[in-house]
Amino acid sequence: MAEESDQQTTMPKSFPVKPKLKPTSRKSTTTPESKYWRSFKSPDPQNPKTLISSITSLSFSPAAPHDFAATHSATVSIFSAATLEHKSTLSAFTDTATSASYRSDGRLLAAGSYSGKIQVFDLKTRSILRHLRSHTRPVHFVKYPLADKLHLYSGGDDSIVKYWDVATETVVSDLIGHKDYVRCGDGCPASDDMFVTGSYDHGIRVWDVRVSRTSSVMEVNHGKPVEDVIYLPSGGLIATAGGNTVKIWDVIGGGRLVHSMESHNKTVTSICVGKVGREGGEGGEENRVLSVSLDGYMKVFDYSRFKITHSMRFPTALLSIAFSPDSSTRVIGSSNGVLYAGKRSVKENVGSEVAEETKKQALRPSYFRYFHRSQNEKPSEGDYLVMRKKKVKLTGHDKLLKKFRHKEALVSALRGKNPENVVAVMEELVARKKLLKCVQNLETEEELGLLLGFLQRYTTVPRYAGLLIGFSKKVVEMRAEDFSASEALRVHIRNLKRAVEEEVRIQQSLQEIQGIISPLLRIAGRR
Amino acid sequence: MITGGKSFVTAPPAFSNDAKKLLICTGNTVSIFSTSTALQITELEGHTAALTSVIVVPATTPAGKILCYCWTASLDGTIRYWDFSVPESIKTIDIRFPIHSMVIPGLLGKPSGSNKKPLDLFAYVSAEAANKQKKEPTVSDGQVKKKQRNALGGQILKCNLTESHLVAGATLAETPKPEFITISPSGEYIGIQEKRKLRIWEVPGKDSERASYRKIRLHHTKSFTALAFHPTERIVAAGDTTGRILIWRGFGNRTFSAGVVMDEDERPGVREDDDADSCTTWHWHSAEVKVLFFSADGAYLYSGGREGVLVVWQLDTGKKKFLPRIGSTVFYLTSSPDPSLSSISCADNRVHLLQMPSMEIMKSISGIKLPGSVPELMKGPCSNLVFDNAAGLIAIPSESYCIQVFSLFDDREITEVQVCERNHQPGDEVTVVLNLVSLSLDGSLMSTVETRLSEEGIGGLVSLKFWARASQSKDFSLSTIVYEPHRDAGVSGFAFHPTRRMAVSSSTGGEFKIWVSDYKIQQRYQNTGWTCHAVGSYKKKPMTAVAFSFDGSVLAVAAAMVITLWDPEKNVLVAVIGESLEPIVSLSFIGKSEYLVSASRGSSPQLSVWSMSKLSASWSYKLHTEAVACTSDDSSFAVLALLPKSTKLEDSSESILHDVDGSILIFNVGDPVPVATWFVRKAKGGGLAFIHMNPGLSANDTSDGKPAEVLLAYINGDHEYVLFHPHGEQASKHAVTHRERHTELEDSAGRYGYASIYGELPEYKLKEDETPKAPLVPSGRPWETIFSGSSHNLPPLPKLCSVFLESLLERRTTVVE
Repeated sequence: MAEESDQQTTMPKSFPVKPKLKPTSRKSTTTPESKYWRSFKSPDPQNPKTLISSITSLSFSPAAPHDFAATHSATVSIFSAATLEHKSTLSAFTDTATSASYRSDGRLLAAGSYSGKIQVFDLKTRSILRHLRSHTRPVHFVKYPLADKLHLYSGGDDSIVKYWDVATETVVSDLIGHKDYVRCGDGCPASDDMFVTGSYDHGIRVWDVRVSRTSSVMEVNHGKPVEDVIYLPSGGLIATAGGNTVKIWDVIGGGRLVHSMESHNKTVTSICVGKVGREGGEGGEENRVLSVSLDGYMKVFDYSRFKITHSMRFPTALLSIAFSPDSSTRVIGSSNGVLYAGKRSVKENVGSEVAEETKKQALRPSYFRYFHRSQNEKPSEGDYLVMRKKKVKLTGHDKLLKKFRHKEALVSALRGKNPENVVAVMEELVARKKLLKCVQNLETEEELGLLLGFLQRYTTVPRYAGLLIGFSKKVVEMRAEDFSASEALRVHIRNLKRAVEEEVRIQQSLQEIQGIISPLLRIAGRR
Repeated sequence: MITGGKSFVTAPPAFSNDAKKLLICTGNTVSIFSTSTALQITELEGHTAALTSVIVVPATTPAGKILCYCWTASLDGTIRYWDFSVPESIKTIDIRFPIHSMVIPGLLGKPSGSNKKPLDLFAYVSAEAANKQKKEPTVSDGQVKKKQRNALGGQILKCNLTESHLVAGATLAETPKPEFITISPSGEYIGIQEKRKLRIWEVPGKDSERASYRKIRLHHTKSFTALAFHPTERIVAAGDTTGRILIWRGFGNRTFSAGVVMDEDERPGVREDDDADSCTTWHWHSAEVKVLFFSADGAYLYSGGREGVLVVWQLDTGKKKFLPRIGSTVFYLTSSPDPSLSSISCADNRVHLLQMPSMEIMKSISGIKLPGSVPELMKGPCSNLVFDNAAGLIAIPSESYCIQVFSLFDDREITEVQVCERNHQPGDEVTVVLNLVSLSLDGSLMSTVETRLSEEGIGGLVSLKFWARASQSKDFSLSTIVYEPHRDAGVSGFAFHPTRRMAVSSSTGGEFKIWVSDYKIQQRYQNTGWTCHAVGSYKKKPMTAVAFSFDGSVLAVAAAMVITLWDPEKNVLVAVIGESLEPIVSLSFIGKSEYLVSASRGSSPQLSVWSMSKLSASWSYKLHTEAVACTSDDSSFAVLALLPKSTKLEDSSESILHDVDGSILIFNVGDPVPVATWFVRKAKGGGLAFIHMNPGLSANDTSDGKPAEVLLAYINGDHEYVLFHPHGEQASKHAVTHRERHTELEDSAGRYGYASIYGELPEYKLKEDETPKAPLVPSGRPWETIFSGSSHNLPPLPKLCSVFLESLLERRTTVVE
């Protein structure tokens, strides 16, 4: 019964003047996921941080503050994840530094270099703890296993993969199998003894240091020189990047190709695993593969649904990407040394703060606040709120239109500087058959100038042209004498004329193009 | 046979004495609505022409509040007396002249002395002039004068209601046309506004057949449109066509009470020798004042007009308060015996119940939307009324840019869709027009086309809107807006695909567009709506009408004179048929048969049936077709045709076919001879449809065992409708009865006040509520029952006392007679 009575009661309504709706394209509809990826915001989007030269690798510390290291030229720069500010520099390299890798506790960092030497740094003191010398050619990949603190594996242009004992600075085993430069690799999340490497011989090899010292456990062929390879968090799948494709392989299933994502236009240079969290944390996180390419795109690939869920364009070729373990920071390094770091504001966990509630003293009538007590009380969850009726907010021109002060409404909209509102008011005036009357009533030079300024700017905008072209013509016809009398208005008219001439020129060239295309279309249609 | 769609605003409504019922004149009947639920309770049926007045006999004693008697007057020339609680007619007085307005001053006056014999009750009626024979003897001048006399319309007559006859020779006034009589709340004065003057009569305190009348006239320079008397003082207010309100104070001091004649100079504002002390003018309304009304205490004056704003004037100071945004012209304001309730009747066929001091609209009683004034050039080629055949609904565009969805079976508004978000403008010209509405076959999709007319060639806009309705809800929500669907050209026709989410619109600009809505995409993205799928044109001819075949495989588009057939999927022209003389305005496929019916208007109108298999005309008539309706399964169709002016039909049987201007014809496809024919009135602008009577909805049809009955619905130009069996005989008419729509008065009333917080008080409340149900049934010995029961259950003594005494009095009178 209550519903029915609501329906029968028709309260008087008032409609504000609204601009026409804009067409929304299907693509621009923001899915929650693309909203999520867009929420990684750079603190200063206009001037991103620029390092000396191209950023060859990026890696996050697995330990709590999740600082990240970027290798570029002969240095490794450490950045704070909290502020995205530069923290410190490790520059004990003789040649270009490559592939920084944090140890599992985040206290040591290993990095390779073009000189073939691998160095292990203490991050606190910034001193070099160990030099691992065995590679004869540039080292492109150095990696700590996931939990093992004592070993390292590395690969380089000498096409040998080495397994190191860090403490003694000795090679435990040389893993030979690749026939070209080894450029990438990743440790298995399930076992510290297994890892995967990719090479320019198109092959991806899975190694197990326990069983075989010399040959790989498994080999798959990517078909293109492999630029990057990662284990996906389950440990059963690997993702490889090479050429312009990203491929997903099933390692447990014997190296079966699961999916091949060909969305980039140029070589994919780096991939990493990103996490999409649901708002509020419930529903768990889903993993995505983030890939960057020389074409300047960052793509987010949902490998459970085999679908690109988001893509983002950057102005330069991208070389490296990393995503922080707490999914709050995403950094991308470009070939010209620009670091695109994005941080998402993560809501503080409120639950922990509740405990620290201070005991309040009981208020006494002798105290001023006693008389204001509980006036700012917020409604608690179960309370029934008596809502105040929402007031229709009317803009200035709406109020004037309600009072039938048409000219004032038009002037007020023109002062408002929002062309959509101005056109909406004009349309409403047309519906009241008062628009031309308004033009006649515009008295001062200033009001006319406002109108002319508006017309000159927006007459040729396609969205408004339908109304404004005819209207401008009428205005010029009606107020010709006033225009000739005033210098300022003459300037406006001159500008308007220029805008119209420009538009005529555009239209003519468009017609020319149409003339060229339409015979082609006709021929195409005949087939 | 179901009728409905009557106007609620032809005459002012009246409240019952307990203010729980509202009596509204609806066509030939008085509909009684509950004021607490705004639903119809019952009807008074009996008059044979439209009702013009309803007057409730007011209660003189508090105990009389339960009395439910009323007087009604109608254009059929009768005055009836009703007990509207039962409801039944008690008395009928036939005065033989169509009555346009009636007032009964005797009801309002103070109760006369008890010792005297009750006086006769007199009514003053404004009747249409006597017919020719009666008039002629009074005319002594030449032929020309006689003609004028015949054209004369109104007379104010006096009627003795007690003895049921007109008072001979008591013609108060003759007016060019029947005028509306206004009576003062005290019953002392009656007045009419006649062009630029007011005529006011004093009703004698002891009215009799031979009473003489003192009268005055008040003059003004503009035509009057409204009139109201002050309840206690001698003040009269009148509104004119320019929106001014004139208030005369102390009118008739000279004539009526022989008071001191004031000095000529000290009568500000009074014209020449008019009999009034002063005249003041208020001006707020920009157009004519339609309603004037003094509040019961006389401190405020209410006025309303075309603006759709109710203005409250403080009488002493002239300060104003407003109830804005009513949305259409205010016609009447009626106050009820309950001081917190009154009603306003609006031009959009709606009666709003107002909570009085705050002037909040509590409830609205909505009738079918009345046809608006659409500029001639914007009129759609087809009738603008769309039916939902399955659910028995009709969608009607209204002047306030709404689509009203109205249930034909229930005679009730279902919902209202605001198509264009614009405020009501009391302008002279209509500039934004809703000119096309269409519903899909299942009623879940709707499309509307609205046009904003341009001002001297700039700013015109056509927009096409698609609306969708979820399966359970009754409200439509906007899905897509297409601005200028066919560039500058207007949309001439629109049709939905019968099964798929596809639609087609045709334009006079020479093209048609097929629109699709991909349902799969729609599920994924909320924002996706309708997109253009294909565009077609035929020799650049203006496209005037479109129709899909029953399975949607063929699309027929009328390109001016010819009909083109298309494959809607591939947008390929399949065939071209026919050549008519005038542009075709309506096309429809006949059920599942292979025939297509087309209608064209103009100087040589044509109704043609085309065979799809032969691609040629089957047969045709020269008929001016207003609407075509096809059944969905069998091969018959109905046509609403306007009769040509020159028809000889009316001469043959003038008495029956009075002002008939159209006919409904039912054809079988194969046979050009109509199966059935009915003659109808006001066919211009009417509509026609076959409605499926859902057997589950009417209980008494289930016994017949028939699957689903098909009714023919006819709605005339005034939006009054009738539903009947097209093939049935008289007998089957009884099978279709009104669905149970009379709701109980008391049960559905919302709980309020004390009861809403603490629940009902069982004993006491119910007893009071039930009293109106059994009015004046002289129970044998009430004193035996009313004091029974324990003392704490008894109602208070003042209440019991009156009942007790009343019952005694009642008994006494019955004994006397």
